[in-house]
Amino acid sequence: MTTSTTTELVIQAESDIVAARRTVREAAVRLGFGITDVTRIVTAASELARNIFKYAGEGVMRWRYLEAGGRSGIEIQFVDHGPGIEDVNRALEEGYSTGGGLGMGLPGARRLMDELDIQSTVGQGTTVTLRKWRRS
Amino acid sequence: MDHMISVVKVRQVLMVTMPPDPDDTTVTALQEKVLGAMERYSAKGVVLDISAVETFDSFFARTVSETAQMVTLMGGRTVIAGMRPAVAVTATQIGLTLGNIETALTTERALDLAAAEPARRKVR
Ligand SMILES: Nc1ncnc2c1ncn2[C@@H]1O[C@H](COP(=O)(O)OP(=O)(O)O)[C@@H](O)[C@H]1O
Ligand SMILES: [Mg+2]
Repeated sequence: MTTSTTTELVIQAESDIVAARRTVREAAVRLGFGITDVTRIVTAASELARNIFKYAGEGVMRWRYLEAGGRSGIEIQFVDHGPGIEDVNRALEEGYSTGGGLGMGLPGARRLMDELDIQSTVGQGTTVTLRKWRRS
Repeated sequence: MDHMISVVKVRQVLMVTMPPDPDDTTVTALQEKVLGAMERYSAKGVVLDISAVETFDSFFARTVSETAQMVTLMGGRTVIAGMRPAVAVTATQIGLTLGNIETALTTERALDLAAAEPARRKVR
């Protein structure tokens, strides 16, 4: 798999959620995703950027283009050193929220993307990786 | 301003227009603006025009459905107008249901719906 250079955006203020959406939209459009996929990718990114701001206070979003087996796609990673998630499977359940939210962010992002991976350690932080491949 | 919610009274209905990419503070302000205007103008209902909105995530959805519930408690009707197809597909895929809020393709049609008498009225 070949990859492009990684680009990074710091998330530490509410306005950075908007910045994350704009960055991801621009990247997905440039890669040639159609409007529905662009909307799916941006919506997933919005959920994860908000989770960083809300649960960890700060973190970074990194994104890069992917190229594998004749396919191209986008990878977006959300990294924080916040409290971590105690039970990742539970957090992926619809309606589970410790923050008074709808609890649809993680399960929603999983459905909107092709791949969603969560690495989390309590007391150390959380890394969520999203991938979406272009349908050719 | 481009990034602000606008509220205009049309007939007996509040036309509320969301900007394309509102931050969370702007989304949160929706509730207060709508409820305040409902009271001030004794409006019959609310049309929420989201035709410019490009991203409708769970935070946005929650605020919209809570606001609609409160409008119902105030005896009004809420109709969402102009949801973009890509936004509708995405919201459905996430499983974001907007409860019993009515939707319309155009603001014109939404105004008619919102101005109509509520289907059920409380009888004292
Ligand atoms: N970056 C994170 N750090 C710590 N906990 C998180 C993080 N992201 C999500 N969580 C946990 O997972 C739960 C579910 O997240 P999500 O599906 O986005 O729903 P919501 O944000 O509405 O609660 C959150 O309530 C929180 O407990
Ligand atoms: Mg969330």
